Amino acid sequence: MTAEADREGAASSGPVSAVSAVVPAVDAHPQTQPVAWRHRHLLDVDALTRAELELVMGTTDAMREVLARPIPKVPALRGTNVTILFYEASTRTRVSFEVAAKNLSCDVVNIAAASSSVSKGESLVDTVRTIEALGADMLVMRHPASGAPYLAAEVFGGSVLNGGDGWHAHPSQALLDLYTLRSRLPGGSLEGRKVVILGDALHSRVARSNIWTLTAMGADLWLCGPSTLLRGFEAWAAHGAAGRRFTVTSDVDAAIRDADVVMALRIQKERMASGLLPSLREYAARYGLTTERLRAASPDVVVMHPGPMNEGVEIAADVAVDPRSVITAQVTNGVAVRMALLYLLAGARHDGGNA
Amino acid sequence: MSDVAADQVLRGWAVDPAAGREGAAEVTLRDGLVDRVAWLSGEAADGLGPDGSLILPGLVDLHAHFREPGNEDAETVASGQAAAAHGGFTTVAVMPNTSPAIDEPGVVARVRAAAAASGSPVRVLVHAAVTVGRGGETLAPLGELADAGVAGFSDDGAPVHAAALLRNALAYAGALGLPIIDHPEDPSLTKGAEASEGYVASVLGLKGWPVAGEAGAVARAIAILADVVADVPGARLHLTHVSTAASLAHVRAAKAAGLPVTCDVTPHHIAFTDEWIAGSRRWAWEALDDAGAARDPWTDGALVAPPFDTSLRVNPPLRTPPDAAACVAALADGTADAIATDHAPHTEVDKHVEFGWAINGISGIETALPIVLAAVDAGLVPLARAVEALTTGPARILGERQRLVPGLREGEPADLVVVDRGATWTVTPGSLRSKGKNSPLLGRELHGVVLLTLAGGRVAYTAG
Repeated sequence: MTAEADREGAASSGPVSAVSAVVPAVDAHPQTQPVAWRHRHLLDVDALTRAELELVMGTTDAMREVLARPIPKVPALRGTNVTILFYEASTRTRVSFEVAAKNLSCDVVNIAAASSSVSKGESLVDTVRTIEALGADMLVMRHPASGAPYLAAEVFGGSVLNGGDGWHAHPSQALLDLYTLRSRLPGGSLEGRKVVILGDALHSRVARSNIWTLTAMGADLWLCGPSTLLRGFEAWAAHGAAGRRFTVTSDVDAAIRDADVVMALRIQKERMASGLLPSLREYAARYGLTTERLRAASPDVVVMHPGPMNEGVEIAADVAVDPRSVITAQVTNGVAVRMALLYLLAGARHDGGNA
Repeated sequence: MSDVAADQVLRGWAVDPAAGREGAAEVTLRDGLVDRVAWLSGEAADGLGPDGSLILPGLVDLHAHFREPGNEDAETVASGQAAAAHGGFTTVAVMPNTSPAIDEPGVVARVRAAAAASGSPVRVLVHAAVTVGRGGETLAPLGELADAGVAGFSDDGAPVHAAALLRNALAYAGALGLPIIDHPEDPSLTKGAEASEGYVASVLGLKGWPVAGEAGAVARAIAILADVVADVPGARLHLTHVSTAASLAHVRAAKAAGLPVTCDVTPHHIAFTDEWIAGSRRWAWEALDDAGAARDPWTDGALVAPPFDTSLRVNPPLRTPPDAAACVAALADGTADAIATDHAPHTEVDKHVEFGWAINGISGIETALPIVLAAVDAGLVPLARAVEALTTGPARILGERQRLVPGLREGEPADLVVVDRGATWTVTPGSLRSKGKNSPLLGRELHGVVLLTLAGGRVAYTAG
């Protein structure tokens, strides 16, 4: 049985093979598993190999199996203290991590920056040292500054899991997007599939992380939006990390034509104030993902959005609930992927793995 | 007080740009003076080559930050002088972005007093602010400051933003015989910027600082200078820490047109690039492919350090490998008149934070010479030209009023540095004399060890 076929089985709620090399039995602590995960932290996805991505996918399959149980909980990480430190407002990602950690029997502490000493001006370094002194083994953090999790990882003795940093990276989102896509695309493969990321790439950590993971899996990635929101990506595409397919364009028709996947990104109102866009109305008219525009895509196109959505701006309300939309599945898979990541990092930590 | 240089005979490869000469030499010191400079040839020169001990005029830095008054936990005049001496510099012009700003003669006197009190023979020149409080609104008392002996005027850290004010400052300072040292930046293009706009900033999700943010300001300043100089022939514009090919093209054209414009480049913009922020540590010239384009550090194994090291946060930002190459080329062809360190020491409190929240600046006066020598080693700039850009080049910009005449001249107080070019040292917090340990070179072994720095006939630094 191949890894992909096995993953397909899990995604369709079928039985999970207990003997597959990439699907560990996750009821026990990861230290007892023959997993080949070498990263102590998950700060970015730029360095993940295809084999490592496959391992995350396989582990997520096993976690989906756990989630399908009457009591979706395993003792694998019992006694592991997970602190969730969010410096930005978030509901779905924070709750998703919390549910994931609890499903693995972790003890969870939630810190919202506004309610802690952070709002009194404590530095990130001091905050992280305090969290460690309070017994945290793993730190899930979201921060408005790109690269902040690297600073945390420099001083934290346990594992740091990046829950989104500035415009830079959102590893768990990219991995759940990858998982969701593989469960929806025929054959479960991204190889040669035309994937369009549409919208405000400039300010999007989701776009950046998806560029790495989707191109690593062989997708033909297109980034599309108003040229003001694509600055810098032309240079990225021109460098084109070896062997990756990556196109940047402002031509929405060219981008969507025959697309297998279209992911719309959130447009924020602040973008008009900084002169990047004339108006939301103009954006919706020129780049909004509508049923009309989707007609040019593949008939089986998969529609995604990392949320939260501005319906009627970057995505039409009917498209958001179209059967071709997997936006709700993205949320569900988010819990399974985050369980997999916590599990893998806990295993690597005990192996003394590196970042 | 520092000791008068001992009577001794220095033997090595001397470079004296003022005399237009380099070669094996024997420099005899007596009573703190250069008693004799003997250029050697034949057997006498055996073993004395450009790869061994170098004897150079004391280096001149026209742009450094010594943080006093106001930020003495980052640097003091005394610790800055010690760092300068360790780096081979015997003359340093400090920038006025202190607290309070150096915008009136009282603060100038205070800096001078600190320099005298330290006992260090390293000469500290003072740049004064162009505008009151560096606020960009009202001209500082430029005449009084000129009378107090300042070397130039600069609002460094920020540009003189209003074109009208820059125009008036160039005219007013020009009549006083002093340069305006402009930090070229258009803030409307650089607000909140974290890294040079392009590939690396895009991948790392850092807000881009576009080339136009500097080149546009350079072009504007040159256009204003051209206008002013017609009426005020003494007007002089110096553009500091120029970092892009586009800016240098404007400077090159202005010089060709005969305008009184000069510029400097920094060691870090010559040798470091934006890819260092992603974790690369190769020299800029090692990051170019055969066609002169930037290689991809994500695919060629160049990323060896964790990304987002805040010691790399600097303004203007580290640029692409081709821009760094343009800076070296400008140094080699004379478009860049000087190398300025922009030594910017900072505390751990201001640097050990998130990348985008870290204060700008690199502590660089002690690593400047080794970096420049690495570019010389790479064949990018001749040794004599590099030394010129570290001595007579900046001295000319600082002006004759400062009576700066770097050189190895008989009968004059010894003002020189001896460098063992073949020896190495490792940059560590302990090896840096500066209070600012914010160097991206921490842990790195550099070629070029300063053995002796003499300033005004006295010992500023001696190894061991």
